[in-house]
Amino acid sequence: MPTVKNWQLGREMSYPYDAKYPSRQFAFVFNINRCIACQSCTMACKSTWTFNKGQEHMWWANVETKPYGGYPQWWDAKILGKLEEANPGGQSWSGKPADGRFGPYGKFDGQTVFDAASRTLTPDSARVLGYLPTDEEWNSPNIYEDNPVGKRGVRNKLDETGAQLPVHNTWFFYLARICNHCSYPACLAACPRQAIYKRPEDGIVLLDQAECRGYRKCVEACPYKKTMYRGNTRTSEKCIACYPRVEGTDPEANGEPMETRCMAACIGQIRMQGLVQVAEDGTWAEDRHNPLYFLVHEAKVALPLYPQFGTQPNGYYIPPRWVPRPYLRQMFGPGVDRAIENYASPSRELLAVLQLFRRSNRIIFRYQIEEGPKIYEGSLHGRKVELFNDTVIAFGKDGRELFRTTVEEPVHVRPNIHANSI
Amino acid sequence: MPYDDPEPDDPQELVGVELPGDESVTREMAAVFADEFAQLGLGRAQILALFRKAEYSGAHQAWRLLGEDAVARMVDESLAVWERFTVVVTDRVEDNPEPEPLTLFRRRS
Repeated sequence: MPTVKNWQLGREMSYPYDAKYPSRQFAFVFNINRCIACQSCTMACKSTWTFNKGQEHMWWANVETKPYGGYPQWWDAKILGKLEEANPGGQSWSGKPADGRFGPYGKFDGQTVFDAASRTLTPDSARVLGYLPTDEEWNSPNIYEDNPVGKRGVRNKLDETGAQLPVHNTWFFYLARICNHCSYPACLAACPRQAIYKRPEDGIVLLDQAECRGYRKCVEACPYKKTMYRGNTRTSEKCIACYPRVEGTDPEANGEPMETRCMAACIGQIRMQGLVQVAEDGTWAEDRHNPLYFLVHEAKVALPLYPQFGTQPNGYYIPPRWVPRPYLRQMFGPGVDRAIENYASPSRELLAVLQLFRRSNRIIFRYQIEEGPKIYEGSLHGRKVELFNDTVIAFGKDGRELFRTTVEEPVHVRPNIHANSI
Repeated sequence: MPYDDPEPDDPQELVGVELPGDESVTREMAAVFADEFAQLGLGRAQILALFRKAEYSGAHQAWRLLGEDAVARMVDESLAVWERFTVVVTDRVEDNPEPEPLTLFRRRS
């Protein structure tokens, strides 16, 4: 099996195909600290792409309550368990988080889903360690989670007191998920018909419906369980990253790359999506003023989800501040402590970049900060806080300004033309 | 949330989750929500309403455990910092074209 470089793991790993990288890569950052599981993203995706017969169980975008929720149920616990079984006690990291673009979280010494497959699976043609979720696991995307339902026999009315909710005297948080459009997709690796491909222009992973024969190898292989089987067409389907919007060919886009539906619908403003430049070695090319590059490689507040799976996912998360660190380290790798520290005491530039979230539906390719005067200095939760009236300017693909934010004026009246812009 | 009572012989039934966590964790979570929504520009009444509503279970859980007064104090602390400014977003000029005047179609008499 060929080897490829995985910068998130800080080492080479086995992968069934030789490394090939797109010129730009679809990527996103979710700020979990803000998510309240309103499910607007979920419904935006559902109403756009998966509302047809045979797609009832499909939620390309979903929000699950961690640690006990999952769609499909227990997806992460199951694959973590399988990896532990394949490499008992060995799924650990060494070294320390560093500043380089290669191995910023140290080095992962354990086995990825590809490493483990070559050592533990038979026949030899098996390429990825995975499992096929049962129908029951797909059926109820939020079962046992904190989504209140109405009383029995009462339709279209939520429980007013929440009295039927179970009381969890413990921590939890909401994890919003879509396909990570991985750099080394496990679904692509597992497909015996090569029906899955990664687009060279934006790294979006697509599944060719004409080639698919519904073997479900992709469903079995994807450790994030974001490919799904459709019974009535006997093919598998997955998130397509709203590619007409990302291309700028959507009628609303007017030629400019737009963020996906789930991003645009986010009322909590937790999401930012973009296209990052990829270097020849597969790392992110230095692009200091791309907001995603800044959040991942400069501020180091956004971390990949389960990097140890080895697919080099392109979804990044600002981890929740209140959750016990061992759990977060397992989920986001060893960079968690630094990420939370940097987010809890944000730099002047990080505060400015966080203002870019959800100010526009257009993809931001570059930002620029015009520094303004200090407007406040004090403390919050025992930490020093400094606020500046900086102007943050966002630019689109063609270098034209998309919008600018300042922090001084007290009132913003949204123009009528944008009243329903999602 | 199941509609029916648990069935003990159902292998899919969740039997229990024991995890570390205490009041301080809940307090931290509530403080983060207060901070984040204050930064988003929500006012005191809006943030407290979010905590009170059962639909927003994370915030509501904290509100039930900590009580209205403790949550209100956190919200006030966050607003003391973040209420000092409102983010103003100015779109590119071309994004705001003057709306075309309405065209009235009259039935020919």
